[in-house]
Amino acid sequence: MDLSPFEADNSVSCRLASVIPDACRTEDCCLGIDEAGRGPVLGPMVYGICFCPVSKKEELKALKVADSKTLTEAEREKLFQNLDEAKSYVGWAVNILSPNVISTCMLQRTKYNLNTLSHDTAIGLVQYALDNGVQLKEVFVDTVGPAEKYEAKLSQLFPGIEVTVRPKADSLFPIVSAASICAKVARDRVVKGWNFAEDLGDVDADYGSGYPGDPKTKAWLLKYLDPVFGYPQFVRFSWSTAQTLLDSKAVTVHWDDEEEDGEKAAQRKNNRSMLSYFNASAGGNSQTPTHQTHRFFTERRLKSLDTL
Amino acid sequence: MAAKKTRTPNVDNDSWVVIAAESVTDTQKHDSDPAFVRLRNPSTDAASLYMLGSGDVQLYEVKAFEGDFHSWFVGQTVQRDGKLLFVTPMDPLYLILPYLIKSGKEGKFQPVDQVVTDEEFPACSRLLSCTRSLASMHHIAEEKEVGSLKFHRYSQEKTMDWLKKKVERTVIALKKRNISVGDGVKSTTYVKVKSESDSNEEDYLRYAHGLISEYISEDLSKALLSHLHLPELTSPKKTEPPSKKRKLSDNPVEAGEDYTKFNSADFARKPPKKMTTAQKSLAKVDKTGMKPLSSFFSPKVKAENK
Repeated sequence: MDLSPFEADNSVSCRLASVIPDACRTEDCCLGIDEAGRGPVLGPMVYGICFCPVSKKEELKALKVADSKTLTEAEREKLFQNLDEAKSYVGWAVNILSPNVISTCMLQRTKYNLNTLSHDTAIGLVQYALDNGVQLKEVFVDTVGPAEKYEAKLSQLFPGIEVTVRPKADSLFPIVSAASICAKVARDRVVKGWNFAEDLGDVDADYGSGYPGDPKTKAWLLKYLDPVFGYPQFVRFSWSTAQTLLDSKAVTVHWDDEEEDGEKAAQRKNNRSMLSYFNASAGGNSQTPTHQTHRFFTERRLKSLDTL
Repeated sequence: MAAKKTRTPNVDNDSWVVIAAESVTDTQKHDSDPAFVRLRNPSTDAASLYMLGSGDVQLYEVKAFEGDFHSWFVGQTVQRDGKLLFVTPMDPLYLILPYLIKSGKEGKFQPVDQVVTDEEFPACSRLLSCTRSLASMHHIAEEKEVGSLKFHRYSQEKTMDWLKKKVERTVIALKKRNISVGDGVKSTTYVKVKSESDSNEEDYLRYAHGLISEYISEDLSKALLSHLHLPELTSPKKTEPPSKKRKLSDNPVEAGEDYTKFNSADFARKPPKKMTTAQKSLAKVDKTGMKPLSSFFSPKVKAENK
């Protein structure tokens, strides 16, 4: 797995893929989808697909791919090696969603939640396989959100393909296990050798698992918090762990799409209280502006100053 | 690390982001540096910030662009207020004018350096060193020379003519810059399909008058309006919404001489009762196809109810 395209710029997402086996272009194929790194506050989320001809399912089983969560990192590397060696009939592709992309998607003006992002990435990878001539007949997916809804969504998008969405699909279907190994190996490698775009000097790489509950991860987050910029792009800003720390330790930053308390916002916008309309004349007279700036200036937001 | 949740006040705001006329930084000829000064704003009568160029030869006004959520990154620092200052040349006569008007009430010719004094804003005397001040005094005052001394007296007539010229020049500038002056357009980024040709001359005059009024007192602004032969607009105050309630009498409107009503059964009509919110929302319910409750009772009772 050559990670150099992602390492060249880890602020955007990146797709890495194996060569498409010839067998997959001619025979009916099955495809598994799984993800790695959904929960951590650090590093990318990786989506992986693995596909092989339906006739080779038994051979895949023989490779002893199993639920990746039960495996150690070394075992996963070994299994990925096995998959790579079976390239005559097994193909794979991963999409590395950089933490920066996750942050910006979830925090943008029109919110794009993690489930939608996950679904769209999975769909993109299936489409990638189809575009490359893989004869897809069956797709197996580990569920994200309600299984029936996701299944209906995928079936509608890919008519003619039998879509199966199951919780724990990675322990039920070998092809999903294989996909999960690809995804996890990619994530492990990316996290281990993360290229910090920021100038942080010698970065302490001891950030633990990256999961919010890990005390090592928490300590690392505290250590690398910049009061102005917050965190390096390695951190998912949209995670509440990161946000809570930013709220308490970093400088407060106000954005214009921020929801303010009604009263505060009204005060800032110089809105008049509804009540002022009820005490008829008194309310009107109390604040007659002596001078109203011409609209040339107000439209351009220009003001006179009385001090610097 | 500041562990604060509220907006902290500006502590050391020792830098500003400024766009200034090139002449401001031209300090070659004079020994003094350009400086910010606080002077009396002729329109608001309160303090405003101005700038005097080096050697006090040119006056500049200072305007600040201020958005709601802006900050600057300046070099390796962050500046919390996203203000952008504009330092633009300004005619010093506008600032001298209020002092001249004040002393003009005495009706005497006086030397300007005696007129332009202000305990609150002592820097105002420096306005007289501006190259345009003394040379253009004749636009707003009558002049008398006694020996080598010059005396001035405020002239409303001259001032009005001078301001009218200012308005006319502003109109030219507005047209040149394609600034929309009509009532309808509020946004500068809004692109009109029709060109500005449909804004009439009066719109331009009014707009220019409004702009000039930013630099003169309210009284002068009104006088200028009539000097320009523009009727005063009596627009309703924008800050208060128009009263939406129309006065209604409690009695239903009826023909006064209709005696038939005294014969009808429902003569003793009661004024409509006020409904509670729940009743009001019930009243809005779609009742098509629903039988009135009274229909479930005997016809005799029904008749009585009606």
